[in-house]
Amino acid sequence: MSSNTRTAYGTSSTFWKRTPTFVPSTIEIVYTGETPSPAETTAKPPAETTSAQPAPRSASPQPTPQPTDKVQEPLTSTSSYDDSSPIAQDEAPTHPLELKFHTLLTAANVDIEELQKQSWKGIPSSQRSTAWCLLMGYFPLNASRRSQTISRKRREYTDWVRQTFSRGEDALDRSLWHQIRIDVPRTTPGSPLFQSPRIQRSLERVLYCWAVRHPASGYVQGINDLLTPFYYVFLSPHLAQPVDSLDDSVMDTVEADSFWCLTKLLDGIQDNYTHAQPGIQRQLIKMKDLVSRIDAPLAAHLDSEGVEFIQFAFRWINCLLMREVSLTSTIRMWDTYLAEPDGFSSFHIYVCAAFLLKWSKQIQQLDFQRTLLLLQKPPTESWTAKDVELLLSEAYMYKCLYHNSPNHYSATQKR
Amino acid sequence: MAASNDEYDFLFKIVLIGDSGVGKSNLLSRFTRNEFNLESKSTIGVEFATRSIQVDSKTIKAQIWDTAGQERYRAITSAYYRGAVGALLVYDIAKHPTYENVTRWLKELRDHADSNIIIMLVGNKSDLRHLRAVPTDEAKQFASENGLFFIETSALDSSNVEQSFQQILTEIYLLVSNKAIESSQDNVQPGTGAQIIVSSADDYTKSPGGCC
Repeated sequence: MSSNTRTAYGTSSTFWKRTPTFVPSTIEIVYTGETPSPAETTAKPPAETTSAQPAPRSASPQPTPQPTDKVQEPLTSTSSYDDSSPIAQDEAPTHPLELKFHTLLTAANVDIEELQKQSWKGIPSSQRSTAWCLLMGYFPLNASRRSQTISRKRREYTDWVRQTFSRGEDALDRSLWHQIRIDVPRTTPGSPLFQSPRIQRSLERVLYCWAVRHPASGYVQGINDLLTPFYYVFLSPHLAQPVDSLDDSVMDTVEADSFWCLTKLLDGIQDNYTHAQPGIQRQLIKMKDLVSRIDAPLAAHLDSEGVEFIQFAFRWINCLLMREVSLTSTIRMWDTYLAEPDGFSSFHIYVCAAFLLKWSKQIQQLDFQRTLLLLQKPPTESWTAKDVELLLSEAYMYKCLYHNSPNHYSATQKR
Repeated sequence: MAASNDEYDFLFKIVLIGDSGVGKSNLLSRFTRNEFNLESKSTIGVEFATRSIQVDSKTIKAQIWDTAGQERYRAITSAYYRGAVGALLVYDIAKHPTYENVTRWLKELRDHADSNIIIMLVGNKSDLRHLRAVPTDEAKQFASENGLFFIETSALDSSNVEQSFQQILTEIYLLVSNKAIESSQDNVQPGTGAQIIVSSADDYTKSPGGCC
C-alpha cells in the first residue's frame, strides 16, 4: 500500500516527510481537539434528521486564534498534538485521526463513503492531498490501478503543456493569454507563495491549458482563485524548502495534479462560467428562495431596500466564497464540499445562505448602501476554524430542512 | 466619505467601465477612500462605493458601480448601466489595446445605457510616463470627435482622480438642474432609496469638455 501512496506523490520517499520548521498548521487546527468543547453541540448539524447523509459532525473546534488574513504560508505548528515529528505518508501516523485517514487511504479499495463521512469533519493536512485526489475522482479508488492511472494522467498533462507552449507565446491565443497574465499576479496577492514567479508561471500554464480545452467557458476571472487551494494543499508537504529550490519533478507533479483537480472541480460547475453565467443565475434564484424561507424578515428587508442578491452574492458563487474567507478557511470548507454530493454547486448555496444570515440582524438595521458595503466586505478577518465549521454545520442544517422540501425552489414569498 | 443616510440633494449613479487591469477599482478606491492598493484582486461582477461632493452648494452623492473588465462578465455588468447618468470609460495610457477597445465599450454603452448618459474618457496610469503608448492629443481628439469628456489620471499618485469625478458629477448636475428648470415635472427626489433621478431621455448635445 505504501508504495501506491508514494507513487501517488512522486518518486522520492522524502516527499511526505514533515519537518519541524514548516508545517501548515493553520489547516490542521480544525481537527486537533481531543476534548469536546461546548461549541460542539451547537455546531453539530442535525444529522439525525436524515438518514441519507453521512452524519457529519463538527470536529471539536480549537479556540486558538488563527491567522486568517491574506498570508497563508505554512506556519509553525500550534496544534495540540505533536506535529513536529517527521511523519512520512507511508509510515502509519500516531495521531488517532491521522491514523484513521491513513488506514482509509491506504486500503486496497478505498471506501469512498467512509472517506466522505470522515472528510466532512475536516481532513488532517498530512492526509489531505491524497484524500482530495480520491474525493475529486482523480485518483482511482482501487489501489492496484492507481499509480499507473496517475502516471498516465500526469504524462498527458505534461505532453499538453509541451505541445501548447513549444512554439512560444506568439502561438498562444493572445487575448486569453493576456487575461491570464494580468490575473495571475493578482491571485492571492498577499501570499509570498503565490507571488513566487515559479508558481505564477505554473498557474498560467494550468489556466491556459484548462481554458483552451474548455472553449464553452474559457478562462473566467475567479477561476484563478479556485486553483490556489490545490496548489497550497499539494505543495504543503514540500514547503520545508523554498519554492525555488523544489525539484522540478515535484513542481511538475503538483502542477499536473492541480490541473486535473481543477478540471474535476469545474466539470461540476462549468455553467457558472459559460456565456451569461446561467449556473450562477440559477443558484442566485435558489439562494433567494432559500433565504426567503429561512429568514422571511431579512428577505423582506432586502427587498424593500432594493438590494438584489446578484449585487452581493454573485461573487460568493463565482469564487465559492474564496474572496470572503481566507485560503485556510476555504481549504477546510472544501473538505466538506468534497464530502457532500454536489458540494460546489448545490451545498454551496446553503453555505451562502448561512453566510448571509450571519449578518441578518445587522442588515435589517441597514439601508441599501450600508448593506451592500457590509456584504461586499463581510468582517471575516478574525474567523477561525470554529467559525467555518459552524457555518458548514448551519448550512447542513438548512439543507436537511429544505433540500427535500417540495416547495423549496418554487417558493415565492408574498410581499 | 462613504456616509450613508446623509442628506443629499442629488443622487447620481455612475459606472466605471473599461478593459481588465486598467485600474478601475483603484480609481474608485482613490476617490471614495483615498486608498490605492497595489495588491488588489480582479473585480468579480460588480462592486459598489459611494461618496458625496459639493457642487454649487448642493450635495451630490455619487453611487459608483465598478465593473469587471473581462468580456465574460459583460452580460452581468451591462445590467448595471441602466439608470446610470454617467460613465467613466477607463483605459491604460501604457497599454494601447485598452485604448483601442474604447470603441467597443462605447458600443456597449449605446446598447445598454440611457442615451443621454454622460461619458468621460479616462486615460489612467499617467504616472507611467516612460511607458506611455497612447498620446494625450490623440485621445483628446478622439474624445472630442465622439462627444466625450476627457481626462488623464493616476490612481497611484492621485493626480486628477478627484477632478475626474468632480467634473463628471458637475456636468451631470448641470444637465439635470437645467432639465429640472426646463420641465418642472421632471423633478428630483432627494433622500430616498437607490433610484436614480434622470428623467426622460430627451436629446441634448454634449459639449466635449476640456481638461489636461
